[in-house]
Amino acid sequence: MQKEAAIREPLILGHKTYHDVTEDVCKPIEDKAPRMWYILFTIALIIGLYGVGSICYLLGTGIGVWGLNKTIGWAWDITNFVWWVGIGHAGTLISAVLLLFRQKWRMAINRSAEAMTIFAVFMAGTFPLIHMGRLWVGYWVLPLPNHFGSLWVNFNSPLLWDVFAISTYLSVSLVFWYIGLIPDFATIRDRAKKPVAKRMYSILSFGWSGRAKHWNRFELVSLVLAGLATPLVFSVHSIVSFDFATSVIPGWHTTIFPPYFVAGAVFSGFAMVQTLLLVMRKAMKLEAYIHTKHVEYMNVVIMVTGSIVGTAYITELFISWYSGVEYEAYAFLNRATGPYWWAYWSMMTCNVISPQLMWFRKLRRSLLFTFFISIIVNIGMWFERYVIIVTSIHRDYIPAAWSMHYPSHIDIAVYIGTIGLFFVFFLLFARYFPVLALNEVKTILKGSGQSYKESPDYHKHH
Amino acid sequence: MGSTKKYWKGIEELKETPAFLEQRDQEFPAQSAIESFLLDEKLAEASTGRRDFLKFLGFSVAAATLASCEAPVTKAVPYVNKPENVTPGVATWYASTYYDGLSYASILVKTREGRPIFIKGNKDFGFTKGVTNPQIISSVLGLYDSERLNGARKKGSKANVAVNTADQAIIQGLKNAKSIAILSPSIISPSLLKGIQLFTETYTKEGNRSVELVQYDAISYEAIRKAHLQNFGEARIPSYDFSKARTIVSVAADFCSTWLLSNEYAQQYGATRNPDGEFMSTHFQFESNLSITGSNADYRGQIKPSETTLVLLYLLNNLKGTGGTGLKGDLLKIANAAVKSLRKSGKNSLVVCGTNRLEDQLLVNAINHQLSAYGTTIDLSNDVRLFGAENSKAEVLFSNILKGKGPDVLIDLGTNPVYTHSQGKELKAALGKLPLFVSTARYSDETSSLASYIVPDHHPLESWMDFQPKSGEYSVAQPTIRPLGDTCSVLESFYVWAGLTKRTGKDSTFAYDTIRGAYTGNFDLLVHNSCVGTTIPAFTNTFTPVNIPSSNKNPGDWEVNFYQKTAIRDGAMASNPWLQELPDPISKVTWDNYITMNPYQMEELGYATTYDQEHGLNLAKITVNGVSVTLPVYPQPGQALNTVGVALGYGRGAGGEAIGKGAYQTKEYGGYDLADDGTKKTIGANVYPMLRSSAGMLQYSGAAKVEKQEGTYLIAATQIHHTVMGRESIVKETSLNTYKTKAKEAYNPPHMLERLNEHGHHEKAPVSEFDLWNAHPVEKIGHRWGMTIDLSSCIGCGSCLVACQVENNVPVVGKDEVRRGREMHWIRLDRYYVSNAEEAIGKKKEEDFSYSEAEKATVNPTVVHMPLMCHHCNHAPCETVCPVLATTHSNEGLNQMTYNRCIGTRYCANNCPYKVRRFNWFNYPSYKKFTEVNPAQDDLGRMVLNPDVTVRTRGVMEKCSFCVQRIQSVKLDAKKEARVIEDGELQTACSEACPTQAITVGDWNDYNSSVYKSTQSKRAYQALEEVGVKPNIWYKVKVRNEA
Repeated sequence: MQKEAAIREPLILGHKTYHDVTEDVCKPIEDKAPRMWYILFTIALIIGLYGVGSICYLLGTGIGVWGLNKTIGWAWDITNFVWWVGIGHAGTLISAVLLLFRQKWRMAINRSAEAMTIFAVFMAGTFPLIHMGRLWVGYWVLPLPNHFGSLWVNFNSPLLWDVFAISTYLSVSLVFWYIGLIPDFATIRDRAKKPVAKRMYSILSFGWSGRAKHWNRFELVSLVLAGLATPLVFSVHSIVSFDFATSVIPGWHTTIFPPYFVAGAVFSGFAMVQTLLLVMRKAMKLEAYIHTKHVEYMNVVIMVTGSIVGTAYITELFISWYSGVEYEAYAFLNRATGPYWWAYWSMMTCNVISPQLMWFRKLRRSLLFTFFISIIVNIGMWFERYVIIVTSIHRDYIPAAWSMHYPSHIDIAVYIGTIGLFFVFFLLFARYFPVLALNEVKTILKGSGQSYKESPDYHKHH
Repeated sequence: MGSTKKYWKGIEELKETPAFLEQRDQEFPAQSAIESFLLDEKLAEASTGRRDFLKFLGFSVAAATLASCEAPVTKAVPYVNKPENVTPGVATWYASTYYDGLSYASILVKTREGRPIFIKGNKDFGFTKGVTNPQIISSVLGLYDSERLNGARKKGSKANVAVNTADQAIIQGLKNAKSIAILSPSIISPSLLKGIQLFTETYTKEGNRSVELVQYDAISYEAIRKAHLQNFGEARIPSYDFSKARTIVSVAADFCSTWLLSNEYAQQYGATRNPDGEFMSTHFQFESNLSITGSNADYRGQIKPSETTLVLLYLLNNLKGTGGTGLKGDLLKIANAAVKSLRKSGKNSLVVCGTNRLEDQLLVNAINHQLSAYGTTIDLSNDVRLFGAENSKAEVLFSNILKGKGPDVLIDLGTNPVYTHSQGKELKAALGKLPLFVSTARYSDETSSLASYIVPDHHPLESWMDFQPKSGEYSVAQPTIRPLGDTCSVLESFYVWAGLTKRTGKDSTFAYDTIRGAYTGNFDLLVHNSCVGTTIPAFTNTFTPVNIPSSNKNPGDWEVNFYQKTAIRDGAMASNPWLQELPDPISKVTWDNYITMNPYQMEELGYATTYDQEHGLNLAKITVNGVSVTLPVYPQPGQALNTVGVALGYGRGAGGEAIGKGAYQTKEYGGYDLADDGTKKTIGANVYPMLRSSAGMLQYSGAAKVEKQEGTYLIAATQIHHTVMGRESIVKETSLNTYKTKAKEAYNPPHMLERLNEHGHHEKAPVSEFDLWNAHPVEKIGHRWGMTIDLSSCIGCGSCLVACQVENNVPVVGKDEVRRGREMHWIRLDRYYVSNAEEAIGKKKEEDFSYSEAEKATVNPTVVHMPLMCHHCNHAPCETVCPVLATTHSNEGLNQMTYNRCIGTRYCANNCPYKVRRFNWFNYPSYKKFTEVNPAQDDLGRMVLNPDVTVRTRGVMEKCSFCVQRIQSVKLDAKKEARVIEDGELQTACSEACPTQAITVGDWNDYNSSVYKSTQSKRAYQALEEVGVKPNIWYKVKVRNEA
């Protein structure tokens, strides 16, 4: 079915048959979960619940339990928000943009990347909610008809744009992801033996029967959604960056932000995909489907986006000096040499230097190295947001108002808690959902002819 | 377009029937239904049967019972008989007088629904001319202190005793006594002195009894009085008039904030600091601590506390032309400049000295005499009657008490020697052993808690009292509320104890009758004005030179200077949380005292010189006169080398006395911080025990030993960065010479931007010509509220900050929250020092400018105080970013905050270039962390809240509203009277409280208004103009009168 150049590395290693693919994907769902899953799930759940508890304390007591102050109104909250949104970029980019570009290698990773996206956006969405002083009236950000007379939302506010951008992105990603899952759910449904599971998967699969008509519609919807989702990949983080770019604060007020943020988001998103997949392929024995070639492709994306981010950093520095604006120049000087120099240089090292190592073929094909770098990149990207947010406002215009930010233990607990929750969701996904788009992967399986060519019989005759 | 339509209620009206016309003209219809019912003859025939009656009764009882099951009525109930002058929603103002032994002012007290809630100066009457100070403004909270005694107390009992019981016991004790002593702070009340005199006469008439009145001040100005005794033959404190002084030389006198009648002087001084006025004074200050006064000086010389005599001697000798010696370096230059300036100004000069040393004050008198300043800037006839205490007499009394030879009865009128005296600890033991010790203190404090009986005096806002602050002025204080507790006027108490009257409870009119009875003029007018001028007896004594004792002081390497902070002063009001949270105008530290030391010396000695939320300052043990305390060492630029300063007035309530909830340290999650032995930790440390007398006069300096200790201490400061980093558009300053001789561009250049003109060429234009947005329609339409703040006049006293806090119900958040950078004050007093990299504040050195040097203040920096509140920008960056329109622009140019719409994203605060928005991090009116500090959490304390201003809940943003409640009020007043708002009618809390009129507020659209004219001054500029937010606040360039 799939024609490939002879010199290209195959996308699926070994001699997998259609049945093998089904078996490989469905096995973990049908079998009892391994002990390791329970251990990891428990750890993630405890951390997640700790985070939820901290959030409850925060909501019950006030924003003062965080380390913010009169000068620094946002710190870890919005840092975490942007970080998670950024991570949530890879999934849609992989499934939508790469689909449009007919990049077949995406098929092995798009399902889990999309799942990751959705969970990351969940986590991201938590922060703008809990960072509000009065969450209970948070629904006022929605342009709902109300009994306050002609009171409406402020369409000038980038925070309002955020509300629309994030909610649109979340809903489109969710639909896209779910549409892809339908045929795979149907496969699991057909194999399920236990009545409860059968019932559940049959509800989830929306009565999919695998008819040609269904497949036709499926392909069409996927393409339409891909077309819809592609601009969103770029819009979401552009809009998030407007929170800063439209302000008057030196270090925030920067026109370079939209592309810079999008590149950074893809950069961190791919790194997170790497982190997750490198573990998952081992744990779920998917080495044949997600192998060095996939990792290498993703490393190339990391390298390219990392370079864009690096260029943006240096451009910012140059412009701050070139502008001749006192405050702008000082904001960047302060980033590099002020009290938060360590955050700035952590960011520079992690985001600018480390991806450049991917120029070496040996390194970018090394799974261990990739795993290491993927974590470094996400640390770097967290620092990037921290640097942008905190080091800009902690010393802005009026020196008498300058301040320092020290996180409280609740700041840390909420952040770690969202990581825990994220893994709770992801582990549940890995346990109950097909982690590979199995019906899609089957389309890139080598045909029976190719198998025959490689079989001993073929060689006997020629 | 007239209308011909006719409306009618019924066909009768339309047709105008005769019956209708007849009825229309009657106010009441002829036959009312009730009358026709009652007059109905059938009614008499009707009878209600027994069963019906029981039915009705049963129904009524059931209905009444059901009705009473409802929740209690929480609505406000209207008065049945409306009290005179109390209209709900309308404030009533009373003219009164404030005197607490330290500060004196003619005041106006605002009461709402019978509650005094605000104090401001009375601008129309009294020599204080409407100027108060932070303590006077804050004193209203003391009225509502739940720990203030609300009845007489017997020693050892926590419950009140009937005041008659106490009186009987006291009278019995007095009758049995051989010797009676009355210990009091300086008394300036003629009526009280009369009462004490009558009391004395009563008890000295029979038996061999002695009665002695001893006045004792912890903050003493005896040396001034004694020096005048020697030079002029009478112990007097003259009236000073700084407003006439073209040259002011102050040697260690913080006359703008804590010295003598500092509120009067601040106003006078401010008048001479206007570069657009008739003249601008030249101000020389010689001091060791950087005081508020020193921070405003044109020239500031750093001296050790022991060098005051040297400087004065140098000035005197040079003025006499005999030449002086002993000074060198910068000090010599400044002293010579001072001599030159004094010579030039001649009799229009004023030299003052803040020490309590006789030789210094004699030198000051000699200098002022040499300059012929007596008669111009110094008025000896209208002498000051405050601070008349003779501490040497008190010393005799204390030493007798300590020796066990004390009086049989001691009556203390609220002096607190256990706290303020160097032998307080010993006194504590000795006072308890006196046969009868009576106190009239308002709290069970360090001293009064030892008393056999406390018969607490009223709060000043509850009582009648009279004062003679100067020989030329007599004033009265009138009550503004019925006494909250069963307290007793101290005036009445003396008459009662003398057996001259009977107690009549808290509604007693005795004090009123006495004061009224003694006054011969129009008493109503006196009460209306609160004061009246009195004939000043001529004082004709002339200056007699005396030999000035030479003092050979050799106090050692390090010297300490004990000073008063503008907020806490002598410590009497240490439990007032507003004052504790008022940042010190110089150090910006709240809730603590500390050792101040020059940061350059601290670096050499290995002390930390920076501090923030998590980084504390090193501790050191300071030993003076054998007494040691351990305090953090604060890096204070401008502190003279080899000197340290420590503020008096801290460490109150060391025995855990009930002196007010706010007097002790609290913990991070609420509750008091307890020491290991279970006692409440005091705020700061008490250094009064370090004071010693010299020649009978209390000295506020001495030799010190400072030893670095292990450990650090976190302090709560509202400003942790102290220089302006060479930024040009925040603070602008210039010299008088430049201002007078050069064009505006030389000292107040507008920020220029480049643009293309219509020919495509580059040209420079001021930033005000650039605009991205459509302006709000505020110009020339209706009102546009604006403000100017004159940096030349602002002395940084902090009155505006406290007044704003009181007016706008700004919560107190306590030390831990201030440390975390979350103080809620709506107005900030930014204080900048000149740095090593700047020529002047905000002006970079052309060569070798570096940011690291720009962060460091110089050894002896010049200072600018910059009040900063919401700028009410016409292009407000906060308004665009709020997602829910909780902050919007009014058509009068105000940036409005709608608390109940706010969802608390804090985006507005982040996007504010001035960083003036304050977020409610917690629920300050109820969260446990603030129980001890926030008055709004106390049932009584919350009475002080201004009902015109919302108390904000947690999670919402707040900020300066330009006192919008006052704007609305003046608008309504004008509307009711069908006139336009007059210029000056609107005063915000800050502009009203400003002693130097640095803040002008008004309608910018009224081109005749003072605020509009002020903005047209060549000195007017807008801070951060280039950001383009178009604020409604203008600053005026700081002008220094220096060469």
